[in-house]
Amino acid sequence: MTHSLWRSLSTHGILILGTIFMGAPVWIAFMSSTHPADTLIRDGMQYWFGGHLLETYNEVLFVEGGVMKKVTASRMLYNSMILGVGFAVGKVIVSMSAAYAIVYFRFRLATPLFWVIFMTLLLPLEVRIVPSYGVVANLGLLDTHFGLIVPLIASATGTFYFRQYFKSVPEELLEAARLDNAGPVRFLIDILVPLSKTMIAAILIIMFVVGWNQYLWPLLMTTQEENYTIVIGIKQIYQVLSEGGELPQFQKAFALTVLATLPPVAVVLVFQNWFVKGLVESEK
Amino acid sequence: MKRVQFERSVVPYLFVAPQILIIAIFFLLPAGQAIYQSFLLEDAFGISSQFVWFRNYEDTILNYEWLGSAGFTIIFSAVVTFLSLAIALLLAVRANEVLHGSNSYKTLLMWAYAVAAPVAGLMGNLMFNPFVGDLYKGMNALGWDFNHKLDAFDASFVVILIAVWKQVSVNFIFFLSGLQGIPKSVLEAATLDCRSPTRRFWSITFPLLAPTTFFLMVINITYAFFETFGIIDTTTRGSPGGATMTLVYKVYTDGFLGADLGGSSAQSVILMIMVLILTVFQFRFIERKVHY
Amino acid sequence: MKLKQHVIALATLALVGGSASTSFAATDIQWWHGMGGRLGEVVNEIADKYNASQSDYNLIPTYKGGYEDTMTAGIAAFRAKNAPEIIQVFDAGAATIINAKGAVYPVADLLAKYGKGFNIEDYISGVRYFYADSDDKMIGLPFNASTPLLYYNKIAFEKAGVEPPETWEELEAIAPKLKEAGYVALAQSHSPWIFAENFHSRHNLQMATANNGYDSTDTKILYNNKHMIAHWTKLKEWLDKGWYGYYGRAWGDNQDAFVQGKVAMWLGSSGSFGGLQKSAEKMKEEGKEFAFGTSYLPYWKSIIAEPKSTFIGGAALFSFAGHSDEEYKGVANFFEFLTSPEQQYFWHKETGYVPVTNKAYDLAKSDGYYKTTPDAEVGILQLNQPGAEWTKGYRLGYYVQIREVMYKEFEKILTDDSSVGDAFVTMEKESNALLSRFHDTYN
Repeated sequence: MTHSLWRSLSTHGILILGTIFMGAPVWIAFMSSTHPADTLIRDGMQYWFGGHLLETYNEVLFVEGGVMKKVTASRMLYNSMILGVGFAVGKVIVSMSAAYAIVYFRFRLATPLFWVIFMTLLLPLEVRIVPSYGVVANLGLLDTHFGLIVPLIASATGTFYFRQYFKSVPEELLEAARLDNAGPVRFLIDILVPLSKTMIAAILIIMFVVGWNQYLWPLLMTTQEENYTIVIGIKQIYQVLSEGGELPQFQKAFALTVLATLPPVAVVLVFQNWFVKGLVESEK
Repeated sequence: MKRVQFERSVVPYLFVAPQILIIAIFFLLPAGQAIYQSFLLEDAFGISSQFVWFRNYEDTILNYEWLGSAGFTIIFSAVVTFLSLAIALLLAVRANEVLHGSNSYKTLLMWAYAVAAPVAGLMGNLMFNPFVGDLYKGMNALGWDFNHKLDAFDASFVVILIAVWKQVSVNFIFFLSGLQGIPKSVLEAATLDCRSPTRRFWSITFPLLAPTTFFLMVINITYAFFETFGIIDTTTRGSPGGATMTLVYKVYTDGFLGADLGGSSAQSVILMIMVLILTVFQFRFIERKVHY
Repeated sequence: MKLKQHVIALATLALVGGSASTSFAATDIQWWHGMGGRLGEVVNEIADKYNASQSDYNLIPTYKGGYEDTMTAGIAAFRAKNAPEIIQVFDAGAATIINAKGAVYPVADLLAKYGKGFNIEDYISGVRYFYADSDDKMIGLPFNASTPLLYYNKIAFEKAGVEPPETWEELEAIAPKLKEAGYVALAQSHSPWIFAENFHSRHNLQMATANNGYDSTDTKILYNNKHMIAHWTKLKEWLDKGWYGYYGRAWGDNQDAFVQGKVAMWLGSSGSFGGLQKSAEKMKEEGKEFAFGTSYLPYWKSIIAEPKSTFIGGAALFSFAGHSDEEYKGVANFFEFLTSPEQQYFWHKETGYVPVTNKAYDLAKSDGYYKTTPDAEVGILQLNQPGAEWTKGYRLGYYVQIREVMYKEFEKILTDDSSVGDAFVTMEKESNALLSRFHDTYN
C-alpha cells in the first residue's frame, strides 16, 4: 500500500504525540523524584535528573515514614508483591479447577453452579464493598493476607477465560486419554496443564497486575500501617507529606509513585506478547 | 454439540468447590446482606434496627445529592469512554500503518494499563498542584483561570483527563489487535475501490471493528463507573461541592465515612441493578453482532 | 529430714513461681485512635510512659486511620463482638456513639466505679459538656481538645502597619492595607467548624432545636439565619475583593498558603501552633522568614458586644461496653494517668492541644510555660471566656454527611454557583432530612 509522504509524516507525528502524552507523567515523576524538596517547591516539576536519586530512594525505601513512622516503602512493596503473586496464583488455581470441572465433567449441578459463577461477573467488588468489609471483619480476617487476597478471587473472570480456552482444546485429546484409561486428575496434570502453559502464563501476568493495582479493597481492610500495599500507601503518605507541618516532601511522593508503577509496568513490558495475547484471546 | 466428558460423582465437585466456596462467603453473603440491609434503618452499631421497606430507596433516589452524583457519573462515563476510544482508535490506526517500528510504538503506547488508577491520580494531582504542578501553572499561563479546588468544571477536567490517560492503552491494544485481524485481502480490495484512506476507514474498517468497539464500550463504561474510584480518591474526593462525586464514591462516603449502612446499601443495590442492565445489554447486543 | 528440705524447696518454688506468673499476666488494654504524624508519636510516648509506670496493665495504642476510618473500624469490631477497650471518636461522630444505648460505658460512671471517683468540676468549663449527655453526665473523656484561633503573619502585619483584629469589622478595615502590602488578608481551614459551629457559639446563637440537639434526636438545624447569611455574604464579597482566599477543602492547603506567606491571617486550631512553629524553624534553615502570632477568633461587634467562648473540636476517648471488670479497672487507671496534671501538661506542650483539667492548667501556669510561650495559652483563655446558653457544642446525628452538605453549599457560594440565600435554604433542607433520618433510626 502506498502512503503519501504527508500521511506518513502525520502518522509519525500523531504517534509521537501519543507517546509523549502517555509517557510524560511517569517521566516527570521520575525526574522530579531525583531533586531535593526545596527545588521542587521553588521551581516546580523537573524534567531532568537532579542528583538526589540515591538519597531520595534510600530514604523512601528504608527510612521509616508514614503516619506512625512504622512503615517503609520496601515493606509496602513486599506487601504488594504478596498480594500480586498470591492473587495471581490463587486465581489461576481456583478458576482453572472450576473451569475444568464445568467443561470436562457431566454432573448434576453443573448448570446451576455455572450460573452462580457467571453471576459474579455482574457485580464488581465496589458494589458490595461495605458488607464485604463486614463479612471479613466478622471472620476476624481484617489485616490478614488471607482476608486481603481471597475475597478478590470471588469474581469469575479467570474461570471464564479458562472455560473458553478449554472449549477450544480438541476433543480427540480427551478421547485418547480415556482410551488409555487416564482418570480426570491424570488428564489434567499430564495433558491439559502443559498444553495450557501459555494461557496460564498470560493469565498469571494479567492477574498479577490486577492484584498489585488493587486499591479500594486494601484501603478498607488494612488498618495497620505495616500492612499497607504500596498502591494505598502512597495516598496515606501523601497526606502526611502535605499536612505534616513540615515542608511538603514532594520528591518523596513522586518517588513513591514511581516505585508503585515500576513492577507491574516492568512485568507488562517484559512479557508483552504473553500479556497482549492473554488479554485479547481471553475476551473472545 | 455433545462434548466428550468424564462421568464422575464426586471429583467435579471437588474441583469446583474452592471457587464456589469463595463465591458463597465473599460474594453471595455480602451481596445478600447489602440487599437485606437496604431495607433496614439501623444505627451504626446495630443496636436498634427496624424494617422500613423502601424508605432507604426513596431517601436515596429523591435525594438531590444522589441525583447529582448519578448525573455526573453518567456524563463522566460517556466523556471518558468517548475520548479514550477516539484517541486509542486514532493511535491504533496510525500504528497499524507504520511499516517499520510499529512494534516500538506498540510497546511505547501499551504499558499505561499497568499503572494503578490511584497512582495515576496521584501523579495527576501532583501535576496540578498549585505549588509544584506545571500543568496548573501552564493552564493559568494560557489564560484559563484554572482552579480545580474551586471550579467544578476544572475539577471534572482533571479527573477526566487522568481517567482517559489511563484507559487509552487498553483500548489501543484491542483496537490494534482488531485491526491486525482484518484480512489484508479485504483492505487491498478496498484500496482499489477507494482512493482516500479516510473514506476507506469509515466505510470498511470501522464497521469491521464494530464488535471490538462495542465490547470496549462496555469495558470503558464499567471502568469509568467503578475503577475510577482510585483516581477520585487521590485527587478531588468529590469536591468542589460534590461536583466530581461518582455513584460508587458516594457508596463509600455514606457507608464508610458516614456510617449510614441502610442508605449505602440501597445505593449499592441500585448500582447492582444498573450494572446488570449494562451486562444484559452487552450480551444481547454483542453476541448478536459477533455472530455473522 | 531430706524430705522436709525437698518439700520446703518445692513449696518455695511454687510460691515464687506462682507469684511470678501472676505478675507477668498484665491485662491488655487496646486503644484505637486516629492520631497521625507527630501526634501519633506523642500518643506512643504517653503509652510507653504509662506502661513503664505500672505493671498491671499493658496499653496498646493502634493507629486505625483518620477519624472516620477509626470510627468505622470500631463499629465493625463492636458488631463482631471484638471491640477495643478504648476508642477515640471525633466531634462529628459523637452523636452516633452516644445515642447508641449500651454501646459505651460512660466515663463518669466508669471512673466512679473503677477509679478514684469523678468530678466534672475538675475539667475546664469549655470542655465539660460537649461529650456529655443532656443530664450533664460526661460520656466521653475529652482527649485532644482544640478550638479555632486566629494566626497572623507578624512580618506581613509590620509591613502593612496594622494590628491583629479583634472583630470582623476591624478586619475589614485592615484588609485593604494588607492587600497593598501584597497579601491576601484571610484564609481558613474548616468552614463548617469555624464559620458555622463556632460562629454560633462565639455569638451565642442557637445552632439547633432541642437544646442544640442534646435533649432529643428530634431536632432541626438553625443555620439558615440572618447572621450566617450576612457573614457569608461578606465572605463572598471579601473573596471577590481579594481579601479572602480559599485553597480547597484540605486543611493543609490553606495552612500552607499561610506558611508560604501568601495569606496574612489564617484561622486554624489551637493545636496548630506546634506545627507552625516547626514550619517556622524549617524555613529559617532555608533562609526564609516566617514569624506568627496567635489571637482570638474574631466576632461581629454588630451581633454581640462581648463575645462568648468557643467550644472544643477534636475528639474524646470512649470505652466500649462488654468488657471485663479487670479491663475496666485498667481503663480507669489509664484515664487517671492521662488526666494527671503532669501528663496533661506534657500532652499540651508537645501537641498544642489544651489541657482538659484545671489542675493541669494551673501546673502549666505555675511552671511559667505561658511566659515563654504566650501563644499556647490563647486557646485555653478563649475556652475559659464566659460561656452562655449556646456555647456547649452540639449533638447532631449523621453530622459527617451534614458537614458534607455544608462544604458543598459553602463552595457553591464562593464559586458563584449559588446565591447565599439559596445555599442556606438547601443546607437547611438537606441537613434536616438527614437529622430526621437519624432520629427515625432510634425510634
